[in-house]
Amino acid sequence: MTTTEGKRATYKQRYEEGDDGLRFQDLTYVGNFHGMEPVTDGIKGDKMMKARAKSGVLEKVSKEDVLRDEFTIPELNDLNNYLAWNIWDVLVMRATEGVSGMIPRQEYEILAFMHEFYRWPEILRMTTKEAGGAQAIMDIGASARRGIGTKVNAVHDWCIGAVGFGMGRCGLLALEVIGPDDYIGESNEILKFMQRILWGKRQDGYILNSQDRYRCRIHEPDFLSQITAQIEPLEAGSPKHAAFTQFKVAAELLSFLDHYDCRLGLGDTGPYELPDGQLLILRDLFVNEEVFHWSDVCDDENLPHCYTLALTIDPEKMGLNEIRVNDISTTFTRPKNYIEAITGGAVFAREKWNTPMGEVYPIKVDDLGDHLGRVQNATLKLYSKTARMNRRDLIWNGQYVYYVDMILPHMRLAGTYEKACRDYDLWEIDQRVANYYYDITKRGFAQETVPSKIFSGAGYLPFSEDADRRNSKGRWL
Amino acid sequence: MAEVLAEGYNVFDTAKSPSGTIKYLSAPADVINLIKSGKLQEHILLVRGGTTTFLAPALSMGAIGVITMSGAPESHLGILSREFQTPCVMTAYLTDSDSRYVVGQTGDEHFEEIAKALDGRKVRLDCTDHEVGRVVADD
Repeated sequence: MTTTEGKRATYKQRYEEGDDGLRFQDLTYVGNFHGMEPVTDGIKGDKMMKARAKSGVLEKVSKEDVLRDEFTIPELNDLNNYLAWNIWDVLVMRATEGVSGMIPRQEYEILAFMHEFYRWPEILRMTTKEAGGAQAIMDIGASARRGIGTKVNAVHDWCIGAVGFGMGRCGLLALEVIGPDDYIGESNEILKFMQRILWGKRQDGYILNSQDRYRCRIHEPDFLSQITAQIEPLEAGSPKHAAFTQFKVAAELLSFLDHYDCRLGLGDTGPYELPDGQLLILRDLFVNEEVFHWSDVCDDENLPHCYTLALTIDPEKMGLNEIRVNDISTTFTRPKNYIEAITGGAVFAREKWNTPMGEVYPIKVDDLGDHLGRVQNATLKLYSKTARMNRRDLIWNGQYVYYVDMILPHMRLAGTYEKACRDYDLWEIDQRVANYYYDITKRGFAQETVPSKIFSGAGYLPFSEDADRRNSKGRWL
Repeated sequence: MAEVLAEGYNVFDTAKSPSGTIKYLSAPADVINLIKSGKLQEHILLVRGGTTTFLAPALSMGAIGVITMSGAPESHLGILSREFQTPCVMTAYLTDSDSRYVVGQTGDEHFEEIAKALDGRKVRLDCTDHEVGRVVADD
């Protein structure tokens, strides 16, 4: 190790009730709480947001609560505020990244946010109905407890509410095309769907990792034991360690690229503490999403839908002080560098999104060389292909990655994806959003408003306390 | 004491201290040409943004060090450079200039100033500090 030699791991203190966690950033969040103490990131921030809630929706809730048809206005406002803080918590620093030089991400993101808010409610309502009701949606969430290589994961499930409702509504408010009390019924539809999926997946009463000190420990113990049985020891500095980490990063890179530089291609769960004190992280890397036409280069290399990596980290070796698996499925640690503390690994492949778990197969670390070459070939081909695309194609392709992929796994398991394509024109662009394409580059809307309103948590206006929960949009004036 | 030309966020602390000539990459064609030249590992790569896709093939083919003019360790390029164990300094600013990057408010002149000052310089990255990464003259 480098600069952490000799330091003891203290990360377990983060799970003590009175502990407020570490600060990962100096910035603070205000949101709708003007005149009050600014909210921090991390565990302390979660506590502050829960303390400011006016309903019980941010505490552990019961199955009956989740099955209820809709949220009350105070519950909607608490969820709106909490999601705004959570978005700020995970994205405010990422949002400093500026231009891509290749994919206009801010532009495709804002279009997707607004498209989702308009189009998802009726699709999610149809999906709930076709699946058999609220319990069936909770069961879809629960399916992730016995699976790897599934996009029913933290980032996708979080996106339903945080992106489709939160960022979508925030973007439309910033564009001044809706008011705070418009689309309340639709907001309820989106948030209920999110709550049911997440509650069914976690089964502990919470819905978000940040509510549980940034833990996403969803897998059943007997399922996990099948995974850990395949883990091979990896000694830092050894060829095997290098082979594993080299494959890991190459697959991570392709997952980002296939999903247009967004995190929908990656999904972490954990940390799971193993009997020997090591921490286990499971990482799904979706390197070949078949609904994207540009994934043909991944098909050419015979890449599976997903590689899943199991990696163990020695917390003592790195002097681990805090580990967060956040709600966009990304692991961050303090100290920051956990790679040299990886002590074991295993790799699995799931050929298609619906390949039965019994047919998911392990790949020995010594056999990763062939896979690495194919992943690198696909990366170069996809880069070359993407570099030739014009701006408009890049923006709409990226828009589809968000707007379709964020709810694709839930529709697939509900059996409603084809119906959404056929009867709901899923892959068409709503006329309103098509027109916004020309608005978002004016006055720096995408480059300035998105970071300043959406990722800063500043534009998430509350619903009026006396607003009617049935409100849609009554007038365009 | 070697001259510190620029500083920024250190993505992860590491004893690795790559040395090379800074190469400013402004378009995907620059990335492809550098890889085709076979000289990728002679250069510290300087880019404007903090996203991953732009540098994807360079990271994949073994870039030794990266400097960005925007972004943070939480940005996608930050995450990937940590995973690649490629030392990376993000949102770098020139130590002899007052110009700083502010999201949505920074004009092209800021980026051009940095590119002009650093492109072609022989440097070494110092990423041993928990928070601050340094670009040190190695001429």
